[in-house]
Amino acid sequence: MRRERGDAGAMRNPWLWMTILLGLGACNAEQSTLHVFGAEAREVRRMAGILATGAILIVAIMAALYVRAVRAPEGALSHQGGMRLVLWLGAIGPALILTALLLYALPAMRPRTAGPDDLVVRVDGEQFWWRIAYRPAGAGGELRSANEVRIPVGRPVVFELTAQDVIHSFWIPGLAGKMDMIPGRINRLVVRAEKPGRFRGVCAEFCGLSHALMAFDVIVMEGPAFDAWLDRSRGGSKGARASMGAALFDAQGCGGCHAVRGTPYDATIGPDLSRFGERRTLGAGILPPTLDNIAAFIRAPQAAKPGARMPAYPQLSVGQARAIALYLKGLQ
Amino acid sequence: MSERRKWHEGLRVTLWTLIVPPAIWAGHFLLSYLWAAISCAKAGRFATFPTLFVIGTALALTLIALSGWVAWVKARMPGDPPPHEESNEIDRLRFLAKSTLLLAGLSFVGVLFTALPVVFLRDCL
Amino acid sequence: MSLHDQDDPALRAAQEERLRAVWAPPKGLFLRWTDTNNNRVGVWYVLTAFGFMLFAGVLALIMRTQLAVPDNDLVGAGTFNQLFTLHGSMMMFLFAVPMFEAVSIILLPQLLGARDLPFPRLSAFGYWSFLIGGLFVSGSIFFNAAPDGGWFMYPPLTTRTDLSGLGADIWMLGLSFIEVSSVAAAVELIVGVLKCRPPGMRLNLMPLYAWYILVVAVMILFAFPPLIAGDILFEMERLLGWPFFDANRGGDPLLWQHLFWIFGHPEVYIIFLPSIALFAMLVPTFAQRHLLGYPWIVLAAVGTAFLSFGLWVHHMFTTGLPKISLAFFSAASEAVVIPTGVQIFVFLATLWAGRVTWSTPLLFATGSLAIFVIGGLTGVMVAVAPFDWQAHDSYFIVAHLHYVLIGGTLMPLFAGLYYYWPLVTGKKLSDRFGRTAFWMLFVGANLTFFPMHLSGLMGMPRRVFTYPAELGLGGLNLASTLGAWLFAAGVAVICMDICLSPRRAKAPRNPWNAGTLEWLAHPDDEDWGIRSVPLIESRYPIWDQPDFMKKVDEGRFFLPDAEEGRRETIVTTVLDARPLAVIRLATPSVKPMLTAIALGGVFILTTYHLFWAALVCGVATLVCALWWLWTGTAEIPEKPCKPIGHGLELPLYLSGPAAPGWWAMFITMMADATAFSGLVFGYFFFWTRHADFPPQAMADGPGVAWPMVALAVGVSGWLLTLGAREVHARGRVMMARSLLCLAILLSLAGIGAGLAGPWTSDMDPQAHSYPAIVWTLAIWASAHAGVGAIMQGYALARSFAGRMDPTHDADLRNVTLYMHFHALTAIVTYATIGLFPEVA
Repeated sequence: MRRERGDAGAMRNPWLWMTILLGLGACNAEQSTLHVFGAEAREVRRMAGILATGAILIVAIMAALYVRAVRAPEGALSHQGGMRLVLWLGAIGPALILTALLLYALPAMRPRTAGPDDLVVRVDGEQFWWRIAYRPAGAGGELRSANEVRIPVGRPVVFELTAQDVIHSFWIPGLAGKMDMIPGRINRLVVRAEKPGRFRGVCAEFCGLSHALMAFDVIVMEGPAFDAWLDRSRGGSKGARASMGAALFDAQGCGGCHAVRGTPYDATIGPDLSRFGERRTLGAGILPPTLDNIAAFIRAPQAAKPGARMPAYPQLSVGQARAIALYLKGLQ
Repeated sequence: MSERRKWHEGLRVTLWTLIVPPAIWAGHFLLSYLWAAISCAKAGRFATFPTLFVIGTALALTLIALSGWVAWVKARMPGDPPPHEESNEIDRLRFLAKSTLLLAGLSFVGVLFTALPVVFLRDCL
Repeated sequence: MSLHDQDDPALRAAQEERLRAVWAPPKGLFLRWTDTNNNRVGVWYVLTAFGFMLFAGVLALIMRTQLAVPDNDLVGAGTFNQLFTLHGSMMMFLFAVPMFEAVSIILLPQLLGARDLPFPRLSAFGYWSFLIGGLFVSGSIFFNAAPDGGWFMYPPLTTRTDLSGLGADIWMLGLSFIEVSSVAAAVELIVGVLKCRPPGMRLNLMPLYAWYILVVAVMILFAFPPLIAGDILFEMERLLGWPFFDANRGGDPLLWQHLFWIFGHPEVYIIFLPSIALFAMLVPTFAQRHLLGYPWIVLAAVGTAFLSFGLWVHHMFTTGLPKISLAFFSAASEAVVIPTGVQIFVFLATLWAGRVTWSTPLLFATGSLAIFVIGGLTGVMVAVAPFDWQAHDSYFIVAHLHYVLIGGTLMPLFAGLYYYWPLVTGKKLSDRFGRTAFWMLFVGANLTFFPMHLSGLMGMPRRVFTYPAELGLGGLNLASTLGAWLFAAGVAVICMDICLSPRRAKAPRNPWNAGTLEWLAHPDDEDWGIRSVPLIESRYPIWDQPDFMKKVDEGRFFLPDAEEGRRETIVTTVLDARPLAVIRLATPSVKPMLTAIALGGVFILTTYHLFWAALVCGVATLVCALWWLWTGTAEIPEKPCKPIGHGLELPLYLSGPAAPGWWAMFITMMADATAFSGLVFGYFFFWTRHADFPPQAMADGPGVAWPMVALAVGVSGWLLTLGAREVHARGRVMMARSLLCLAILLSLAGIGAGLAGPWTSDMDPQAHSYPAIVWTLAIWASAHAGVGAIMQGYALARSFAGRMDPTHDADLRNVTLYMHFHALTAIVTYATIGLFPEVA
């Protein structure tokens, strides 16, 4: 009796947990390989379904065989019979299944191809944020941004991924598999989004203190809307130049690290703030961009994000910091 | 080639011949990987038709099959019925031969698996 | 001595008295720690590794508690990063690998009917190294100085001294020290299995545990050295600024990943196979029949060992390597499933064919197989590259690897604990505690790790100290945390069971009615290991050979006495275990401990940049090692032969390939050559990374002349040593001595000639990876020339001291063996650095 429980319990557990827990966690639609919005991720989700079904079947068969084996009376299996069991079920069976699996999986490794006219988005991993540069085909040049990736739906997009300081990894679970960003190398990841919406990506390779706090927003737009956004963004950044916040921004030397298009600030040390006002999050996907949050971040970035490179500005009063925040919110 | 020498010496199966088939797999695997990695890194592409790779794979499979065959012959030396677990030279020999045969089977499959990717992927992307 | 003699109880008692005296452990507060007997060193080793496991488990528990709810702040990012780095590193380097070595040190002599392993002092040295290095690494967390770069230590995060502190050095140097002790254990175990089997135990009769250990020890030889090579490059970058992994100066972070995972993947099998080996021992016992399919297990072990070296890139599926490269490794990763499946079906068939007696160890074995099968199948999933691109570095992998390691290492060890406890202590553990613990562990493990498959697929990356509530991962993580606490409680029950053990009564001898040799152990254990070394005629001698225990106990087999008052064991041939010689084993000594302390000083002081003190320790290490060798090895016996019973008379001295010492040298040098090949791999790796290598600005490299001189000097030194060995064997001692003197001069010249190339060409190793790797290769070869000079000097001194003569020339033969490898090193090094730039 005991042995029966030992085994059946082992095998039944996973089923139980899967049912219960799938229910528990079905609410995340932004950053999940199960809630897909890209062709690559959809393909992999289908593959995962096939693999998981196969795995569950094999576990069930193994469990049944094991129960059978322990219950069998002595000598139920002869030496010859045992050898046949090992040969067919232990060696030849798995070899055939694995061959079939490889025949299915290897062709699926072929990457999507991209033409010369496709949009290139260069992303540099930094501790702990993302430097983004859109490089559309044709004239118009490069558009710099940070911590938010916008892509058009239905068109192939080429991500050129690298890093300046340490290794990071670029992962948008709903769109495609991840790709590492390695100093000295440029990796290409070609994807195609299938439906518009707001999603989230994260850093998947441990990159230091605030590795857990390094995410970004992904916004998938209809093609024409994306093109219009790109054109619009290339122009100077709209913002209240004459405000107190702008003056403080200048006085505190924020422009020494941050760029704002259309102003003299074009430094590339920190994230580009040109369109900060339209971003959904602050600090690379970690906080809602409320005035309070922005002000607190300016005064003590390391409190929100340990190890962040931005110096703290404790000398600013809360009011002054809020003024800068207000200026930043206006940058569109 | 070690196979041939063994053959001439009257088919000895030892601890060293046991690892001949997997060593051939390892050699084939390593050369396949290095071939692809080096041609991708230095030339940017590796093969339109991989003649060298086909020959190498055929050679590896032949050598593995050969050592498997030698082992098969030795595993069928006359003696008491299985399991061969007596303390005598014949049983030790048949045991080593049987193990070599099984390893040859595994290595054969291993080489085939190594060859499969080249069927599907021919570029350096 | 005939059988008849052993009928005399008085004689037997006298023999036992002599054996007891010879094998008596040292007594005294300090001296007891100088013991080298495998029983005692093995137990220290096991307890230490178990302690490190508990410690690393507590670290995991803190992490799980931090992750119980979203946006938690129990520990900060800095602490959390230290926790997971130390948890992984300790479980791998301070628990799993040492535990297998420890268990093998206890079991192997018993399984092989040997009195002890061939090099007891080496085991002790390994243990002390492990203890010192382990305390150094694990203690660092109390000073907030623990490594925090992940157990894989990817540069540049870890090599940039502005991004990572002392922790990285502690990891690199502390664990390098432990890798040394692992290689030492591998030497011990390989020679033990191949050369110290009892007469008659041919290869086809060897207990499967020994087969597995042989395979695993060989794997260590080829897996750990690439990591040692990586460690060397890593520390050169951290301490000296040589840019191996710095992309701005021609290095490449991926070189580290290659070297690390060439070690890292076989490592998984290094810790998995010994646990499966425990199954191979206990399954036949509880099926009460011979294991069905013995050659299949050998196939599986050897096959896995080979295939496991073709998997490393599957840890690098997302690094952007060409898909074709990934595909080779994807295919091999699937292939390795076949031998693993074979093993499981062999156990299944054995249980099917036998009469199953249910027991706590078998319960643990069953549970671990169930967990392992699930881990194996998710392994098949992540071996499919497109799926891995999603799962990689997510909690899916955390789930996969813990299923594999808990099912494939930890739970089998608990099965082994319940199975072998009576062997070590003479008492059984409680079945009631055992069953309770099992269910807590089993449910706990599934509750902890099954939800992680889902949290991973739902986008939770690994190594995050917190996660936002909006991701909806709170429920899954809370389940995992509850599971982790349940699991910890299960471990606590086992600890309690162990603590209660001393109060329980002794169990009968061989309480499970097993058939293998180790169960000869008597509950009231004697230190001599085995009363007489048996003649083996079956895989399960206790079951199959009539009156086996009685005959062993009454000393009716070989070597029942210690007439000369020496610790002895029998050396046999590799294939058929024909008796070759009796060797004298080393007695308790403080030398191994001193050597370990001195070597530990080298590593630990280097961590704190105390280079002069480290150098002093280095010299002390050398002195200790030479003192140890001089007084403890290759001793010329007082008589050439001795009888071991049944009319057999065996020599007391061996040299050349028949001798354990020669094998130890051979095995050590295989490891050395593998580390060297890791460095050579680095050279050619940089060549593939750069369009022009050597770079235009330093196209001349070290030139051709000096490397060729160094090559010629190296080869000549080797030929002279070879000549010395030959003339020495022919009795021309003076000529051999002169040749050795010349050889020493050439070795010393080799140091200069090797370094002269990069030196005279003004190669700046901090400028670019090319000069850095050239310098590294030159230094490696020159250092080996230096060691060669010391060895040749040692052989010369032995000859002058009368400790080596033409019939007792083990020292010279071992030095020659070293020189074979050195010649190879010199040829490859100088051909590479001198000639390759000419053709590249």
